[in-house]
Amino acid sequence: MDKIIEINHLQKNFGRNEVLKDINFSVSKGEVVCIIGASGSGKSTLLRCINLLEYPTAGEILYHGQNILQHKMTTAVYRAKMGMVFQQFNLFNNLNVLQNCMVGQVKVLKRNKTEARKTALEYLELVGMSQYINAKPSQISGGQKQRVAIARALSMEPEALLFDEPTSALDPELVGEVLKVMKALAKSGLTMLVVTHEMAFARDVSHRVVFMDEGVIVEDDTPEVIFNDPRNERTRTFLKRILEN
Amino acid sequence: MAITPDSGFFQWVMYIAQQYWPLFLRGAEVTLIISLTGTIIGFCIGLIIGVIRTIPIDPNTNPILRFLYKIINIILLAYIEIFRGTPMIVQAMVVFYGVAMVYGIHLSTLFAGFLIVSINTGAYMAEIVRGGILSIDKGQFEAAHSIGMTHSQTMWNIILPQAVRNILPATSNEFVINIKDTSVLNVIGVTELFFMSKSAAGNNFRYFEVFLVTCTIYLIMTFTVTRILRFLEVKLEGPSVYTIHGSQTVPEAEFRITDRGKH
Repeated sequence: MDKIIEINHLQKNFGRNEVLKDINFSVSKGEVVCIIGASGSGKSTLLRCINLLEYPTAGEILYHGQNILQHKMTTAVYRAKMGMVFQQFNLFNNLNVLQNCMVGQVKVLKRNKTEARKTALEYLELVGMSQYINAKPSQISGGQKQRVAIARALSMEPEALLFDEPTSALDPELVGEVLKVMKALAKSGLTMLVVTHEMAFARDVSHRVVFMDEGVIVEDDTPEVIFNDPRNERTRTFLKRILEN
Repeated sequence: MAITPDSGFFQWVMYIAQQYWPLFLRGAEVTLIISLTGTIIGFCIGLIIGVIRTIPIDPNTNPILRFLYKIINIILLAYIEIFRGTPMIVQAMVVFYGVAMVYGIHLSTLFAGFLIVSINTGAYMAEIVRGGILSIDKGQFEAAHSIGMTHSQTMWNIILPQAVRNILPATSNEFVINIKDTSVLNVIGVTELFFMSKSAAGNNFRYFEVFLVTCTIYLIMTFTVTRILRFLEVKLEGPSVYTIHGSQTVPEAEFRITDRGKH
């Protein structure tokens, strides 16, 4: 399979604090990979390193076999290929819903306004937010914001979409609408890398589940194995604790 | 109207207002022009410096660029500290007479006024703008970077529109301060409102009456300016109403949603 991202011996320190230690893993085209683990295990940092929002201390990130850490000039180009959905939505507060989905296309991809608008509307329709194109972020709910954020990322037509705990900041009754969109995207064949605490989503939707603990990947396997027959003691303890709640 | 030294207080005030209104008007005009221009140019200076001072420099940046940036930063910091740390009245003297002595150039007093108020305001605005940029949530930068925007694209399209809106009250404040503080420019002979009032007062030896009129004019100017700027602030907030295009069940329906009860 065509590997979009391959990570070798990735390491990230914040001062003396080693957050990621020797991470090796890869994401192939069309794969949906969920990263699970306790808070502080380094899941989000790993995701942020992949998008270069955090600069890795050591190791390499290969994008289609090319090490992006050695080609600093292409950082912006590379990032445009990796969509990112944040826990706190981070919609541009000065722009309305439609403009949020257009600005990247116009400024980064240099599309003309008509084309950008068409693409934006297409994806806003997909996430069920096309009615709200005139609304400002402050005027819509959390679940709606997150769906717009997904449409914004999709409008860039990225090769893969990274989700950093997309439902953790939402009220419980709003989680469903976002997960529904994500499930539809997974079905459509989009490559997705999802950091999540939603175990049901990880079990039902993903092709692979990565369990992280204390900055290392403890287990990387199919959801069947991880959830029914984990090989590692730490995975077992974590899942037992999570599923009991 | 007959006026004698023994005339009543209000008679004197009326007399001065009637007699000297062209003088007051010219003075007020100069005051407004200098403070408006000074605030606008100062705002631009502040914007440029604020943007430069918030350029992210990390260990991965080219060392030569890093060194250059450090030097520029020191120069900008010196400018800010010097002009914030000395009174404008002194700056006026130093610049006006300094330029004449060192370069042999005699600035027109009006030009000197523009210059001094602009660079003085710039020093304050630089820190206000920097604060405005730093107050924007880090998530806004990250989201912009994640869709491939460069730092300058992010600044220009996402951060500055929000930062400028946030610092508008502080900018209005600077404008009001400038309207009042241009009065110190009378020391270099700028014919602003205070200077004009002084000559009107000197002609009649009626200081209290004249400066009461001056006081009123300053108050009218500052009050009007604050109202206008407040109106602009509200305008910049954007519409508090948005339209929903169709609904899932009734596609042709249009709803108008109003919220933001707080405004």
